Amino acid sequence: MSDTLAIVLRVLAVFVVFLVFPLVIGQTEHKVMAHMQGRLGPMYAGGFHGWAQLVADGVKFAQKEDIVPAGADRKIFQLAPAIALLPYLLVLIAIPVGPGNAVGQALDAGVFFVLAVMGVGVLGSLMAGWASANKFSLLGGLRTAAQLLAYELPMLLAAASVAMAAGTLSLPGILDAFHWWWVPWQIVGGLVFFTAGLAELQRPPFDMPVADSEIIFGAYTEYTGLRFALFLLAEYAGIVVLCALTAVLFLGGWHGPFGADGLGWLWMLLKTVVLAFVVIWLRVSYPRLREDQLQKLAWTCLIPLALAQIALTGVIKVVIS
Amino acid sequence: MGIPGSGLAKGLAVTLRTMTKRTVTEQYPDVQPELAPRTRGVIGLFEENCTVCMLCARECPDWCIYIDSHKETVPPAAPGGRERSRNVLDRFAIDFSLCMYCGICIEVCPFDALFWSPEFEYAETDIHELTHERDKLREWMWTVPEPPALDPGAEQPKEIGAAQKAADKLAAQQAKEAEEARQAAAEQAGTDQRTKDAGEEA
Amino acid sequence: MTLAAASHGFLTPSGVEIAFLLVGLVTLGAAVVTVTTKQLVHAALWLVVALGGIAVEYLLLTAEFIAWVQVLIYVGSVVVLLLFGLMLTKAPIGRSPDADSGNRWAALLVALASAAVLVWVVVDAFRASWIDLDGAAQGSTEVSGRSLFQHWVLPFEALSVLLLAALVGAIVLSRRGGEDTPDGRAVPGNGHAAAPGAAASTGPDSARREGQR
Repeated sequence: MSDTLAIVLRVLAVFVVFLVFPLVIGQTEHKVMAHMQGRLGPMYAGGFHGWAQLVADGVKFAQKEDIVPAGADRKIFQLAPAIALLPYLLVLIAIPVGPGNAVGQALDAGVFFVLAVMGVGVLGSLMAGWASANKFSLLGGLRTAAQLLAYELPMLLAAASVAMAAGTLSLPGILDAFHWWWVPWQIVGGLVFFTAGLAELQRPPFDMPVADSEIIFGAYTEYTGLRFALFLLAEYAGIVVLCALTAVLFLGGWHGPFGADGLGWLWMLLKTVVLAFVVIWLRVSYPRLREDQLQKLAWTCLIPLALAQIALTGVIKVVIS
Repeated sequence: MGIPGSGLAKGLAVTLRTMTKRTVTEQYPDVQPELAPRTRGVIGLFEENCTVCMLCARECPDWCIYIDSHKETVPPAAPGGRERSRNVLDRFAIDFSLCMYCGICIEVCPFDALFWSPEFEYAETDIHELTHERDKLREWMWTVPEPPALDPGAEQPKEIGAAQKAADKLAAQQAKEAEEARQAAAEQAGTDQRTKDAGEEA
Repeated sequence: MTLAAASHGFLTPSGVEIAFLLVGLVTLGAAVVTVTTKQLVHAALWLVVALGGIAVEYLLLTAEFIAWVQVLIYVGSVVVLLLFGLMLTKAPIGRSPDADSGNRWAALLVALASAAVLVWVVVDAFRASWIDLDGAAQGSTEVSGRSLFQHWVLPFEALSVLLLAALVGAIVLSRRGGEDTPDGRAVPGNGHAAAPGAAASTGPDSARREGQR
C-alpha cells in the first residue's frame, strides 16, 4: 500500500513540476527579457508586477476557437501537440533532484532514455508542419528536421562523454560518481550539450524553424487556442528539462559546496534556475542564426568539440584508473 | 578583433547591464507623461481674436477647418460718418480625425487666435465626435500653457525688440531734451554771472 | 535462460506475457498498416508506432538499454530523416494512388520469405528456453556492454569499419557532385520547393548523417 502511495506521490510531484516550472520560466522570461530591453513587461495581470500573466494567457487560449484548416490532415494535426508535449513529461520522471532516492523513477540507462525521448518530441513539430497544409508550416517542419539531425549528434556525444567519465548510464549513478573537478574537465562537453539542446528546442538564437519574420511561426503557423498553448508549453517544459539535465550531467546536480544532505534539492533548483536564466539571456542577446550558419556551427564546430571532449575524457579516465 | 568570442561576451554584457538600469517604460494611464513644453496635443481657439479672415482654413493641408460667418453692419463711430461692416463668427470647427497636427493654421493666423494645447486625451468611440466645435475649441484655450521662458542668451522676440527700440529712442530723445534744457539753463546762469561780473567790474 | 520448466505453461500466462503478446499484435498491425496505407506520411508515422512497439517489447524483456537505443536511433532519427525526405517530395495530404508499384506481389513474396527466415532463426535459436524476468536483469546496460565487447567484439568492429566506409563514401560523393555541377545541389522537380538555404545546406549534411548510421 505504501509503495503504491509513494509511486502516486512521485508521479504527482513530477506532474506538478511539469505544470508549474514551465509557467515560472515563461513568466521569468517575460520579465527578464523586458528589463534587458529597458521595458517593464507585464504589469497588470494578478496585480503585483503581472505575476499572473501566463495564467491569463492560458485562460485566453482556452477560450479560443479550436480551428483545423480545411486542407489539413485532421487527425495528425490534432495529435501533433500531444506528441510534442508528452516526451518532456516522461523525461522529467527520470531526472534526479536530490541524493538517494529523490527521483521519479531511477532508470538503468537514464541518459539514453532522456535523450531518446527528447528526440521523439521533435516528431510533434514535424507532424504539425506536414499536416497543416501550409507552405510556411512545411518549411518550418523541414528546418526542424534538418536542425534535429544536425544537433542531436553533438548532444549525444557530449552526454556520452559524461557517461564515460562516470562509468554508468544511470543519472543518479552519474551524480554519485561526481567530483567537483569534473566541472572543468567536462566544461567543453557541457557547452556543446547546452548549445545543442538549445538548438533542439528551437530557442533563439537557433530559432530558424519558427523564424517569425520569414515563415510566420514555422510548423505552428496554423495552430490556435489550446493546441498552440500546448506547443508553447512544450517549449518551456523543454527548457526545464534541458536545464535540469545540463545541471545533472555537467554541474553536479544536487552536489554543492555545503549542505549536501538536506539542501541537495536546493542546489539542483539553483543550478536549473541559473541555466534557465542563461537560456533567456541568450535569447535577448543574440540575433537569429541563418540556416547555413546553423548547420555549419553544428557540423564544423560542435561535433569536433564533442569528439575532442570524448578523447580527453578517455585519456584522463585511463590515466586516473 | 581580439579574443574569439569576445564579441559574444560583449553582447551578453550589454543586455545584463541594461537589466540593472532603470526601465524607460511610460506607465501612462497610471502616471501622466511628462510632455515637452511645446507639445502639439490639440488646437485651442481664442475666438475674440478671430476676424474670420479664413487664412487658416485655406492653408490647412487637410481641409479640416470649417468656418462659417455672416456680415454685420456697425453704426458709424461718429455722427455723420459711414457705416462699417464686420464679420461675425458663426461656426469654427476642426475635424481632428483629419488633422495631421502640422500647425500651419497656428503659424498663419495673423491675429493670434489659434494656440497649441498639450491636452491629448480626447479619443472618441465615434469618429464624428472628433470634430470639435467652437465651444469645445474655446475650452481647450484654457489649457494652453504660458509660453515657455526663452533660453538664456536667446534672441529677443521681434515685438519686444521693436518696443524696446522705440522706448530706447524715446528715452534717448528725452535725455537729449533734458540735456539741452540743462545746457540752456547753465548758459542762462552763465550769462547772468557774466552780466553780474560785468556789473561788478563796471 | 532456463528451459521451459513445468512452472511455465502456455495456458497460465503471467501479466507480462499477456502484455508482450498484446504489444506484439499492435506492432504487427502497425507494420502491416505501414506497408498498406495509401498515405505516404501516414505510413512513416505508423512506422513510428511499429518501432515504438518493438522498443516496448525490448523493455518487457528487461533489455532496457536496447529499448532506449531503439527509440533514439529509429524513432528519433531514422523516422525524422524519413519524414524529412518525404517533405522534400510531393507527398500530398491524402491518398497518393500513384505510389503503388507493380512489384507489390514480388515485394510481398520477399517480405514473407525474409519474415519466415527470421522467425525460423529465432525459433531455432531459442526453442523452448525461458527468460527469467524476475531475477537479475539480463538486458541491463552492463550485461549488454559486457557481451558486446567480450563475445562480439569482432562483429562490432567490422560493423564500425563498414559505417566508416559509408561515411567516407558519402563525403566523397557529396564533394564530387559539388565539383562537377556547381549548382547541382538543387534537387530538380521537387513539389514543395524548400527554402534554398534549408535544402541546399542540409543536403550533404543529411547524407553524411545517413552515412553515420
